[in-house]
Amino acid sequence: MVDFSLSDPDRAVLDGVAAEAKAGEKYARHYDDHEEEVLPKSFPEASGFPPIQQRLRGRSGHDTPMLVLQVLMRIEREAHCGVPLRQPPTALGNAALDAAGTAVQKARWGHLMLAMSITEPGAGSDTKAIQTTARLDGDAWVLNGDKIFVTNGVRCDGTIVWATVDKSAGRGGIKSFLVMKGTPGFELVRKERKLGIRASDTAAYAFRDCRVPRDHLIGGDESVPRGEREGSASYKGVLKTFNMTRPFVAAGGIGKALGAFRFARDRLAEAGIVVDVDEGPTCRSAAAQALLDIEADIEAATLTVLRAAWLASQGKPNNLEASVAKAKGGELCRSGPQRAMEALGAMSLSHDYPIEQYLRDGRITDIYEGTGQIQRLVIAREILGYSSEELT
Amino acid sequence: MNFACNETDDILSETIARFAAEELRPRLREFEAAGSVSQDLHTRFEALGFVAVDLPEDLGGAGLGLTTRLQINRRLAEADAGAALALDRLGPAAYVIEAFGGRDLLKRYLDLLAKRPEMRVALVIDPDVISAPKSSVRGEAAWIASGCADVLVGLGRAGAWLLESGFVIEAVRGAALHAAGSSRVRYDGRPAHAWHDPSSVARALAKIRLYYAALIWGVVADAAGFSRRYALDRVAFGKPIAHHQALAFLIVDMHIVVERLGLLIEDAARRIDAGEDGAADAASAFIDAIEASRFVGPNAVQILGGHGFMRDYPVEKAMRDCRALGLLGGGLDAAQDDAGAGLASAKSQELAA
Repeated sequence: MVDFSLSDPDRAVLDGVAAEAKAGEKYARHYDDHEEEVLPKSFPEASGFPPIQQRLRGRSGHDTPMLVLQVLMRIEREAHCGVPLRQPPTALGNAALDAAGTAVQKARWGHLMLAMSITEPGAGSDTKAIQTTARLDGDAWVLNGDKIFVTNGVRCDGTIVWATVDKSAGRGGIKSFLVMKGTPGFELVRKERKLGIRASDTAAYAFRDCRVPRDHLIGGDESVPRGEREGSASYKGVLKTFNMTRPFVAAGGIGKALGAFRFARDRLAEAGIVVDVDEGPTCRSAAAQALLDIEADIEAATLTVLRAAWLASQGKPNNLEASVAKAKGGELCRSGPQRAMEALGAMSLSHDYPIEQYLRDGRITDIYEGTGQIQRLVIAREILGYSSEELT
Repeated sequence: MNFACNETDDILSETIARFAAEELRPRLREFEAAGSVSQDLHTRFEALGFVAVDLPEDLGGAGLGLTTRLQINRRLAEADAGAALALDRLGPAAYVIEAFGGRDLLKRYLDLLAKRPEMRVALVIDPDVISAPKSSVRGEAAWIASGCADVLVGLGRAGAWLLESGFVIEAVRGAALHAAGSSRVRYDGRPAHAWHDPSSVARALAKIRLYYAALIWGVVADAAGFSRRYALDRVAFGKPIAHHQALAFLIVDMHIVVERLGLLIEDAARRIDAGEDGAADAASAFIDAIEASRFVGPNAVQILGGHGFMRDYPVEKAMRDCRALGLLGGGLDAAQDDAGAGLASAKSQELAA
């Protein structure tokens, strides 16, 4: 039977995550205003909260699957307009290493914080159009190209870089390489200045005749498949990681809408506007109706991410559901905070209140890890039965 | 019926568009960082003679009406809506002073502004003015798009007031319209003027709403245009992204929204200039402007993808600025009230006839 309820231990985990996220609110504006700064590894307040691994101990097999709980934790974290009190030790590149690296590579580099360098100034959604090249020269790969929008690119120890070893081979020629910070020819060009999520560092890189050892090719397979639709093993491996990260990204956007909703609800309650669901729509104020609309939308979006995460936790395919969740979350993080701001009026624009930051921070949800348009393309292919060649 | 502008409007529009393109656009991030526009820019703008363009000639204006004023707002906002607000030292408070205090009072403040180049007048919406104003007013506006003010004008549902002292403005950081400044204002004082007259509220509010709607018009028109040009230039999956229907149709929808908004604004302004009651039309145009801001701003960012999220491009600023403008002038819900009241009264007149 379908059951969306949470066990008591799950509830306790989420409450703990919420309390910790709330403690991080005091730093939010500082890092929003000082984008040039990078967050410390941990803030003093972190010592007041147990590490997440400790929280998760003692959960039984009857509790919510881990992947689903992670999504719920993300929603709760993002619903607080704060910064993480502890920085996670890993980044997107670690997921790629896990998905496509050899056992030796995982053992060697798994403890490092690895960013992921895919996007280029001229290649975003169209990943196969990347121009960064890797050429084998003796016992080294020589990388040349520019990368942008590298999340955690300033603080990471190194990065996984997508580059093509043979442009004529299309996707098949795209491989990924580990490049450590400090490698000659690898330059951190700048820290990007963004509309939102300014506490998250985003970097631009340049690679100029950057030599990395031959065994830094992730997965180790130097062959270039021809005429294969899906590309090399490491390309496929990385794309596969999106099926889990998309619901997770959507959860971030839902959290922003939820935070804006809670703030608006509490402020309106102070002004005497409380939603009464028994009251007919003709008796309800526009502000109360706005709250109801936003709440319903949050609920719907949350269910889509929970389903996508649950399918992944069961080892079932979730390509369609992950994209549905991402598309829905991407919409919600725009509409939810906007409507909440309207209910509150011009005060929403002051930095004395968090609500405008929810809109700015949430806005990225519909862009990164596949734009809303790309998600719709994925959904269309799935429900119409087309391949990526047949429907572009 | 005539959809063409007259020659005077065309010349004005060209002049102001050139000023916006040459003086504002290249410096918008500079004004944003400074939280104001430079005094020399004020001087150059005022030398163009656009300051009181919609006010009668005997008040020192050009007598060209609201329609022209709104074109100027639109053109300035195409470059930077925050700068447009900053350059207008009297701003939409003019419409409150005019509606309640009449031409003599308006002239008094126009003369003062002409004498004191640093003087500013700010407008707040005061929800407490629901009946005859009291001998003192007290309250706060958590955010206004102004860095300073020498005169504070408050407008409520039933009346208005004007304070020459008894208010404190303190700078706060804000989300948008940075060039105009950003403050919290607390007021507690005896107004120099206090008025109770709901029909004057409606007249002032109609112009205020159109004033902000025209600024939104400029922002969304420019954001739609910028993202359209980007979509023609940017290649993904082997062709310009404008060739992908998901984006082509989005670009079309944005274009339609901008066109529709312009027509609604011009129609309402024309009615007001002709001496008709344009309150409901102005409220409708403002509602449409808010919807346009919610649709076009974020989608201009969307078309640029990750680049749209970066401050290297102007669309993230457009998204913030048009969102902010739609929260001024009393916002959406009050406009819906007034547009609805207008429709209801039209219906009852129809029934009576």
